[in-house]
Amino acid sequence: MFYRLSGIHHTNYVSDTRLYKIPADRNLALFLLALGLAAPFLVGSLYLNSYMLPWLVWTAAALGLNLVTGWAGQLHLGYAAVMAVGAYSAVHAAKYGLPWEFALLIGGISAAVIGSLFAFAALRVKGLYLALTTLAMQFVMDWVLTHSPAISGGSHASLQAPTFALLGQRITSDTGLYYVAFGWCLLVTIFMLNLRRTGLGRALVAVREKDYAAAILGVNSFYYKIVAFATSSFIAGVSGAILVATFFFLAAPEQFSVAVSIQVLAMVIVGGLGSIIGTYFGVALILLVPGVVNGLVAEGAGALGLQLNVESLAHIPNAVYGALIIIILMIEPLGLGKLYGNIRDYLRVWPFDQFKK
Amino acid sequence: MPSIGRTLALALLATGLLSASAKAADPEPFRIGVCYDLSKAYTFATPQVSQAALDLADLVNMKGGINGAQVEVIVRDHGNEPQRGIECYSKLSREGVFVFDTLSTPVSLAILPRAMKDQRILMQSLVGRGDAVDGTVFNWVYPVGPTYWGQAANDIAYIKQLHDGDLSDVKVGFVYFDYPFGQEPIEILKTLSGKEGFELILYPVPLPGSDQASVWSKVRRDKPDHIISWMLGGAHVVASKEMKRNGIPMEKYISVNWLNEVDISNIGAEAAKGLKRGTNVVGGQDIPLYKEIMTELYDKGKGNGPVEKTRDVFYNTGLAMYSIMFEAARQAVSLHGHPITAETYKAGLEAIKNFDANGLMAPITVTASDHGGGGRTRIEMWDGATWVPQTDWIAAYQDVVWEVVKESSSKFDGK
Repeated sequence: MFYRLSGIHHTNYVSDTRLYKIPADRNLALFLLALGLAAPFLVGSLYLNSYMLPWLVWTAAALGLNLVTGWAGQLHLGYAAVMAVGAYSAVHAAKYGLPWEFALLIGGISAAVIGSLFAFAALRVKGLYLALTTLAMQFVMDWVLTHSPAISGGSHASLQAPTFALLGQRITSDTGLYYVAFGWCLLVTIFMLNLRRTGLGRALVAVREKDYAAAILGVNSFYYKIVAFATSSFIAGVSGAILVATFFFLAAPEQFSVAVSIQVLAMVIVGGLGSIIGTYFGVALILLVPGVVNGLVAEGAGALGLQLNVESLAHIPNAVYGALIIIILMIEPLGLGKLYGNIRDYLRVWPFDQFKK
Repeated sequence: MPSIGRTLALALLATGLLSASAKAADPEPFRIGVCYDLSKAYTFATPQVSQAALDLADLVNMKGGINGAQVEVIVRDHGNEPQRGIECYSKLSREGVFVFDTLSTPVSLAILPRAMKDQRILMQSLVGRGDAVDGTVFNWVYPVGPTYWGQAANDIAYIKQLHDGDLSDVKVGFVYFDYPFGQEPIEILKTLSGKEGFELILYPVPLPGSDQASVWSKVRRDKPDHIISWMLGGAHVVASKEMKRNGIPMEKYISVNWLNEVDISNIGAEAAKGLKRGTNVVGGQDIPLYKEIMTELYDKGKGNGPVEKTRDVFYNTGLAMYSIMFEAARQAVSLHGHPITAETYKAGLEAIKNFDANGLMAPITVTASDHGGGGRTRIEMWDGATWVPQTDWIAAYQDVVWEVVKESSSKFDGK
C-alpha cells in the first residue's frame, strides 16, 4: 500500500540499475532531502547547531569508514587518526592563506596519501592483524600530535582554525555552517549510494567476500583494497577538516583520539555494515543519544523530585546508553540499517503478507 | 516588639513561599553552568569539586543568596567528549546561563571559541590553555588561579629558597606525563634553568603512567636534588613505589596541585611523609569556610554528598573556585545592581581585589589584563596527618611567566 509496487517492471539493464527502483523510496529520499534543506527554518538554533550539524558531519565521516569496513571488509581502528591528518593539514593550509576550498582538498588528499601509505604496510596482513596495524597508526598519530607543537599549535596543543569561507564568502552564521555540513554529507551520501552500482563497488564487495575468489574473477584485490583505503581516507580527511571548520573552530588532539576511532567504528557497526541509512541511525545513536539521555534523566529526576547526587545522574545515562546498544544488537545483529530494512520489507507488501518471498 | 517583628517576618516568608507573584519580585537567580566530566577521565577530581560547588551554593542561599538573588549550580556530565561539552554549553547558554566551568581541558578548548563569540564567561581554573590569563586577548575567559607555567616557576622559587638563593649547582628533575598537560611547564623550566643556572633533567612518563620503572632508575643514577612531578592520580602512587624501590627520599618530590588525600592514602599516610605539593588552596580542614559548611550543612544532614569526600584537598579547590564565582556575582551586584548580566559579571570579576575567601586560598586580584588573579601558590608538605605550609603565597618570576603567556596569546586571533 505504501510502496505501490504494481506496474513496476524493469525491462532493460539501465532501468534495473537505477538508483531507486521503487518510486516510494525515491520520494522518501526527496522528502528527507527537503527536510534537510528546510531544517534551519524548522528547528531552533540549538538543535541545528549542537545536534544536526555534528550528526551530519559525523555521518559523512562514518560513511567513509563504512566504505572501507562495510564494503571492502577491511577492519579499521585508526580512522580518527586519518581524520586528524585531514583536519590539521587543512587548518594549516587555511592559516597559510589558502582559500578553504583548496584547504579542504589538501586535507582530503594528504589524508588519502597517509591513509593509503599505512594501508600499503597493513595490507600484507588481514583481519585482526590488520585491525591492530591500523590501531598502531592511531597511536603513531597521537604521538605525533602531542609531540610536535609545530603541528598541534603550541604548548597546549590547540590549533585555531581561521574563519570558514567558501568562494570568498565568510560563513559564520548557524544556518550557513549547517548548510556546509549538510552539503558535504549529501555529497558523500550520493557517492556512496552510487558506489554500489559501479564496477568499483562490486569489486569491493567481491574483495570483502573472499579476496582470492575475487582474484580468480580477475579483480586485483590488493589494488582495490588500496583504492578503498585511499577513498575512505579522503572522505575522513575532508570530514575531519569540516568538523573543525564548522563545529569545533579549533583542532585539539583529544578530538581525534583512539576513543573517537572506536566511536566511529561503533557507529558503523550499530548502524549496519554496508548500510547507508543505517549509518545515519548509527551516528545518531552513538553521538547524540548520550547527551539526550543525560538531559532526559536530569529533567526526569527533577520532575519526579528525586534527589540524586550528581555522580549517579552522570552514570545512569551511561548505563541506559550501554543497555540500548546491547538491546539493539540483540534484536538485530545486522544493525539499525537492517532494522529499518525489516520494517520496509514488511510495509512493502502490507497488507498482503502472503506475497512475501 | 521583637515578637511582632518575627511574626511579620514569618508572614512575609509565608506569602513569599506561597504566592508566585511575590516570587517574581525577587531578583532573578544567579546560575552557573557546570559542565563536568563526571564519568570518564576527570573523575579523580570532579565529584569533590561539584560537591563543593553545591554545598557552597546551599550555604550562600541559606544566608540570603547574593543580595537577595538565589544561586543555582546546574551540574551536567559531558563525559570529557568535546561535542557533548559544546552541547551542554549551547543548551544552558540558550536557557540564559552566562557563566560556565568545564574542569576539562579538551572541553574547555572546544567551548572557548563559542564563549568568546557569544560573550559568555568561561571560568577555567586549572584547565584549558594557560595563555588565557591574558585578558587583553581572551576577554571572556577567566582561568582564575595559577597557570601551570606560574606553578612551575613558583616551585623553582621554593627550591631557590631552600638553597639560600643560589641554584648554580642544583639538579632539578622534571617527571611529567608525556602529553600536553605535562609538557606545558618544560619551556618555562628551561628558561629558568638558563637564568638561574640549575641543571634541568627531563623524565617523560608514557601514559597512563602505570609503568615508571625505567624513569625512576634513571632518576636514581642522575641523583637530582629535587623532583618536580606533573602527573595525576594513580601515577603519583606508582611514582612513590618506584622512589622507595630506588631509595629516593620522599622529601624530594614536589607534585603539581593534582595530588589529593586519595593518593596519599594509596601511598600510605606514613610513607607519604615529606611529600610536597604546589597549591593555590589551603589543604586540610582547619578553614573557617569549611567549618561553617560542616556546622550548617553536614551536621544537619543536608550535605550534597558523603562527608568523606569533603576531607579532600580537591574539595577545598572546589570551594575556592566557587567562592570566587560567587564573590564576583556579589561585586557585580554592588557595582551595577540586579540583574546580573554577562557584562556586569565580567566587571564584578575584575573588581575582585585581594580576595582569599577568609583564609581558604591564595589572595587573588583579577584585573582586565590579568585574568589569572596573580597566580600565587605555595608549597605544602604532608606531615603524616595533614598539610603543613612551607612557604608564603608566592608568585615568582612573573616577568618570565608573562613573556611565555604573551608569546603564546599573541598567536590567538580573537575575531
